[in-house]
Amino acid sequence: MLGYYFRLAINSFRRTPGLTLLMVGAIALGISTCIVTLTVYHAMSGNPIWWKNNVLYAVTMDAWDPSPADPYYSDHPERAPAQLSYRDAMYLYQSPIPGRKVIMTVLFGMLSGAPGESVPMQAQTQATTHDFFSMFDVPFEYGGSWDAAADNGPAPVIVLSKKTNDRLFGGADSVGQTVLWNGHRFRIVGVLDDWRPLPRFYDMTTSAWNDPQPVYVPFQWGPMLQAMPAGNSSCWGAKPVKTYQEFIGSECIWIEMWAELPTAQARARMQAYMNSYWASQHRAGRFMRPINNHLTKVSDWLRINGVVSSDSRILLRLAFAFLTVCLINTIGILLAKFLRAAPTAGLRRALGASRKQIFLQHLAEVATLSVAGATLGLALGAAGLTAVHALYASGGAYGELAHFDPLGIVWALALAAISTLAAGLYPAWTVGRLPPSLYLKSR
Amino acid sequence: MNIRPVVSALLRNRVGAILVALEVAIALAVLVNAAFIVGQRIAKIAEPTGLDQQDMFAIAMAGTTTDFDAQSSARDDIAYLRSMHGVVSAAPAGTIPLTGDGSNGELYLEPDQRGGSAVGSWLATDEQGLRTLGATLIAGRNFRASEIRHLARGDIDQAVPEVIVTQSMAHALFPGRNALGQVVYDRQNRPITIIGIVRDFVGQVGFGSPPYNVVILPQVPGAYGSYFCLVRTEPGRAEAILHLAERHLAASNATRVIFFAHTLDYYKAQLDSDDRNMAIFLVVVTALILAITCLGIFGLTTFNVSTRTKQIGTMRAVGARKRDVVSHFLLENAIIVGLGVLIGCTLALGVGYWLSMEYGLPRLDLYFLAIGVLILAVIGQLAAWQPARRAASVPPSVATRTV
Repeated sequence: MLGYYFRLAINSFRRTPGLTLLMVGAIALGISTCIVTLTVYHAMSGNPIWWKNNVLYAVTMDAWDPSPADPYYSDHPERAPAQLSYRDAMYLYQSPIPGRKVIMTVLFGMLSGAPGESVPMQAQTQATTHDFFSMFDVPFEYGGSWDAAADNGPAPVIVLSKKTNDRLFGGADSVGQTVLWNGHRFRIVGVLDDWRPLPRFYDMTTSAWNDPQPVYVPFQWGPMLQAMPAGNSSCWGAKPVKTYQEFIGSECIWIEMWAELPTAQARARMQAYMNSYWASQHRAGRFMRPINNHLTKVSDWLRINGVVSSDSRILLRLAFAFLTVCLINTIGILLAKFLRAAPTAGLRRALGASRKQIFLQHLAEVATLSVAGATLGLALGAAGLTAVHALYASGGAYGELAHFDPLGIVWALALAAISTLAAGLYPAWTVGRLPPSLYLKSR
Repeated sequence: MNIRPVVSALLRNRVGAILVALEVAIALAVLVNAAFIVGQRIAKIAEPTGLDQQDMFAIAMAGTTTDFDAQSSARDDIAYLRSMHGVVSAAPAGTIPLTGDGSNGELYLEPDQRGGSAVGSWLATDEQGLRTLGATLIAGRNFRASEIRHLARGDIDQAVPEVIVTQSMAHALFPGRNALGQVVYDRQNRPITIIGIVRDFVGQVGFGSPPYNVVILPQVPGAYGSYFCLVRTEPGRAEAILHLAERHLAASNATRVIFFAHTLDYYKAQLDSDDRNMAIFLVVVTALILAITCLGIFGLTTFNVSTRTKQIGTMRAVGARKRDVVSHFLLENAIIVGLGVLIGCTLALGVGYWLSMEYGLPRLDLYFLAIGVLILAVIGQLAAWQPARRAASVPPSVATRTV
């Protein structure tokens, strides 16, 4: 019976190819616009480490300028800065609270002495501590992180990103080889696999949409070589900062800190540790702003930092307005089409077809339309994403985000099926309820 | 023309009419608000930068070793750039205008960070800086070559006795007063005299300082083992000269490499890209919504015409002219579109209000609403035109036939 209904549907489409094309086109357009916008929105609002959302925390304290006229964020004076000063970061990092902790900053880096590169290669360097990789689930292609002891020395050990290793060593296992980092010989201990968390949640001080840094070294190499941070750093205070020693002893903030606290108890202990540190420092004349110690989980961190722009939210709503127009259009056309064919339905009813059968017959027609619309919509959506990709790649913050993700396809298919069937319900129901006699008489 | 028969015909396909009216309403709400947002974005992109960015480029250099001598390297590179044919002026710079690369800071009216303050981007450069930036002095004087501080490596303090500020910065510090010759203070309570005021231009962007607030410092950067060179060329030659300069500088000194090199036009395009992309997105989607709405109107009128062939024939048989048939369908369509526009106005205002509340956009300009109504009314009638014409071609003899 179902096969028969579908054959009838095909016949009906053949009778009115123009209207059919119009409907399929409208559904496809609505769906493709939704795919494009949902994908962009999904990428822009995604949590790239959702599986650790409840254990990873950005650690922030507010030792900024006490003058009420100079909050760190002039539009959000209540917020603590995203970075810590050297002494606060070191104190918190050395806390006895169990659980991983990392501190990080960006240093200027220059790589040379590798076989694949005759001129030195400029490589911004993430100076961090050994748990960085395990904490953020960073995949390794070769080797692994350095050990805890290498953090203290600091040992001349280095981790390369996959791209860097491809460039310098042609993608070969380079673990154990050495390169010159800023003129010093470093031993490669690990090579990362592909890793591109978008947004780059752990460091959004310069841009949330940039790639992770191409090179990683132990944090203490900064102080060791007196290398100024090459990322964001912010200073306040009346004492001039003239040398590196003064810089790391100052209130300048330039270090991001994260902690992995698997239990509520560990979290509470860390919070208490920060609070007691704040209290002792406050008594000693630091931390003159109100207490503002925070352990912020990733999703909140993304929200606070305004990663999802209001533009993308406006676009998301626009996409649904668009889909609504397309569906209204489809309902209108389906209704017109079914009513026009009502005499045939009347005849079928007179010959013994039940209302339910008429309803199902027309629903089969709707289902066929929806499949065609979804298929075309997916193709259009892929084309649209290519266009958006080109648009964003030509400039802008979101260079790589508009990829066609599998989740998007599942979404689109569900959207197509549900929305079109919903749109078809009313017309199919209407035509099933028409009294057959009316149409038989008038002919 | 009598409206009664049109209305009664309309009521025979109520649901279809309501659906099209809804489509029109949503289309109007989207059109008006999208046009309003696009208008704002275009205005934002068109805001003057105060720079001739199409004739400027920036090169960033970075030393390859820890003992890299940024000072002498910068001196050589700037000298080379100044010697190039077609280069009007070149200068070292601590901040690249129109980018986030650089620094910013506050100036205070009184010591100990009191008496009011203003934040601006800090652009360290030499006595050629103003010329390179194309910044016109409107009061005071430029730096003298002897006043320029050359920072040694590791010397990270930006203390200077004198600065030049933009009009906006001057106004932010001394609203309604002449800022020239005034003494202000940095965070470290050191007095700084404002010796010149230049016309506004955009400095560092994206890190919290207002775009036109710029403080120019007589200083050649070099503390971090890296530096920027800013170059101004003869009109239309920035791209070509940038290529030549890049080729030469890449090979001229092995102790440093080119970190990046771009025209300022490129940075301006980067800066505008989010607004530009949003505008393109909105225009495309709005155009599609209008197209779909037209198709809906077209579909409904076509359906009405094809199901009423016999009535049209009857109308013609009892004396209606072709023109009357066309206007019958156009009037019917006008009622539907008019209803949609009415709902759409409310919807558009509602969406406009919501956008202004939720995203802090300015309130919707009613002028846009009026234009939107006009556009929908016109294209709504155009979409119904072809099927209405077809209706007029139904011969009166149809009335006498049975279907």
